[in-house]
Amino acid sequence: MFRGAFSIWGRDMRVLRRSLFSELLAVIAYPLTLYLAFGIGLKGYIADVEGVPYALFIAPGLISMTAVNAAFDESAWSMWFHRRVQHTIEEYRVNPITVYDIVIGKIFSGFCQGAIKGVAVAAVIFLMTPFRFPFPHLLAYLFFIILGSMIFSCLGTICGTTIDKPENIGRVQAVVIVPLIFMAGIFFPLSSYPAAILPAIRVLPTTAIFEGARQALLKGGIEGGYAAILIATAAVSFVLAVWIFNKKIEE
Amino acid sequence: MRRPYIVQILMTPAIVLHGITKTYGALTAVDDFSLEVERGAIFALLGPNGAGKTTLIRVLTTLLRPTAGDAMVEGRSVLTEGREVRRLIGVVPQENNLDRYLTARENLVLHARMHGMRPAEYNRVIDELLELTGLGGRQHDFPDTYSGGMQRRLVVARALVHHPRVLFLDEPTTGLDPQSRRAVWDYIQTLRARMTIFLTTHYMDEADTLCDRIVIMDHGRPLVDGSAAQLKEALAHSHLYEVEVRRDADRYETVLRGLPFVESAERSGNLFRLALTGEEALKPLMDAIGSADIRKICLREPSLEDVFIELTGKKVRE
Ligand SMILES: Nc1ncnc2c1ncn2[C@@H]1O[C@H](COP(=O)(O)OP(=O)(O)OP(=O)(O)O)[C@@H](O)[C@H]1O
Ligand SMILES: [Mg+2]
Repeated sequence: MFRGAFSIWGRDMRVLRRSLFSELLAVIAYPLTLYLAFGIGLKGYIADVEGVPYALFIAPGLISMTAVNAAFDESAWSMWFHRRVQHTIEEYRVNPITVYDIVIGKIFSGFCQGAIKGVAVAAVIFLMTPFRFPFPHLLAYLFFIILGSMIFSCLGTICGTTIDKPENIGRVQAVVIVPLIFMAGIFFPLSSYPAAILPAIRVLPTTAIFEGARQALLKGGIEGGYAAILIATAAVSFVLAVWIFNKKIEE
Repeated sequence: MRRPYIVQILMTPAIVLHGITKTYGALTAVDDFSLEVERGAIFALLGPNGAGKTTLIRVLTTLLRPTAGDAMVEGRSVLTEGREVRRLIGVVPQENNLDRYLTARENLVLHARMHGMRPAEYNRVIDELLELTGLGGRQHDFPDTYSGGMQRRLVVARALVHHPRVLFLDEPTTGLDPQSRRAVWDYIQTLRARMTIFLTTHYMDEADTLCDRIVIMDHGRPLVDGSAAQLKEALAHSHLYEVEVRRDADRYETVLRGLPFVESAERSGNLFRLALTGEEALKPLMDAIGSADIRKICLREPSLEDVFIELTGKKVRE
């Protein structure tokens, strides 16, 4: 069972291991720049946000953002590359495995990339700052990173499966993914939203990922509402990714 | 009379197609195609560009669902027993699909793993295959540092790692130099005792000398079926002659093309290849040229290429 998924995942991890150092360097540079620019550059202008120093306020969001972006990127581009450029998906498909093996293997690879890169950024930010967190807070935070990476890996897989032109993957990222992430309040508290639209923002899965993660890290505990939204979104996006891949591949 | 099970197995053809049809919108790429390929044969599917060869192989290798019909590989349906079929087949696609982020050896290992082989089992086979395909020395290099011929050999090796019973090769030798072509063919020949081979090629000489059975197809349908000798024999009634003249080739070209009993004439230098309406045309032909100017006249055995052109026409496909 899932021998194929495991083989494909193993292949992706082997390839990742070869370039791990340069990948990490590249992936850490961006959130770190944002952190330095906003957290330290704006320090004098923004006092505490809801009682939390601004640099600390944005740290969890930057880490989560790295994780979900990495998961999305890996899944979308890898699926696209193996399907359209290398045609390796076809090689996988003439082996005695199922399409489920392929899509599940790919989703897990994306998820692992997200989780590994998120943890790497977390380690760097924690090392650079004086903030320390109790272990249970970190565990609760990890819960959100994992579910967030899972959801974005599924979304990436759906994009990589359905989109044939690479420039369109970039467009989806710019028009859908980035706004969803920024709207979830990485750089500002949700209380900045007008009361009228706040309920809509609160049910966004990205809000659950970012706001839930921030609360988990700063205050500890997993908020039930956010956890429920995330688990439901993860389940739906997983089923959807598998179903869409199956449909598309069978033509 | 019921035959014992083992006899039934031995008698089932390796590949059976029942009315396979595949349409892409308004285009019918494969049209109600039926065929049986016996065990242990080297079978060649020939046809011009766009005839539907790759489409047919994609159906047989479970990559493509036919619009209608079913096909059996070693008695298993590609529609309902896809996974079983995939366990039994090896596939060399028309375009190489190697993983350029894995070394040559890792490409083979991944394939073996997906077939559920264990390291003790696959390492030995992979060593052997790399040796046989002459890639042993470069096994830890990435495939995009390979020449086209080496990549092709690696794809063939990969298709054989799990000891398939039926091997599908879609233009295995296209783009190879004569040495590599020969190497690939010598290797395929050594496999014939162990498996059924289903291939497509545009090299008529390959099909002629190496394949037991040939089907020429066009527009998604089979046109003829038989051994190379049978196909050529069928064309033998069309009277092909070679005539070489000593001088005035330009003038004779006009003359020959004007003769009613010359169906077609091709010229290269002083040599004409003629298709005549019948033997009775020989005498008037000699009269038309004049015996003093004829250097040579002889009956020409049709080649497989003649058969191919005769059946599928001279026009280049889109
Ligand atoms: N995905 C597709 N969508 C639409 N039409 C297709 C598709 N794949 C193949 N065709 C069409 O089906 C027909 C058969 O194509 P196929 O690739 O099977 O030909 P072929 O015999 O392998 O040709 P070649 O010798 O050039 O490889 C062609 O007319 C081709 O344009
Ligand atoms: Mg083809």
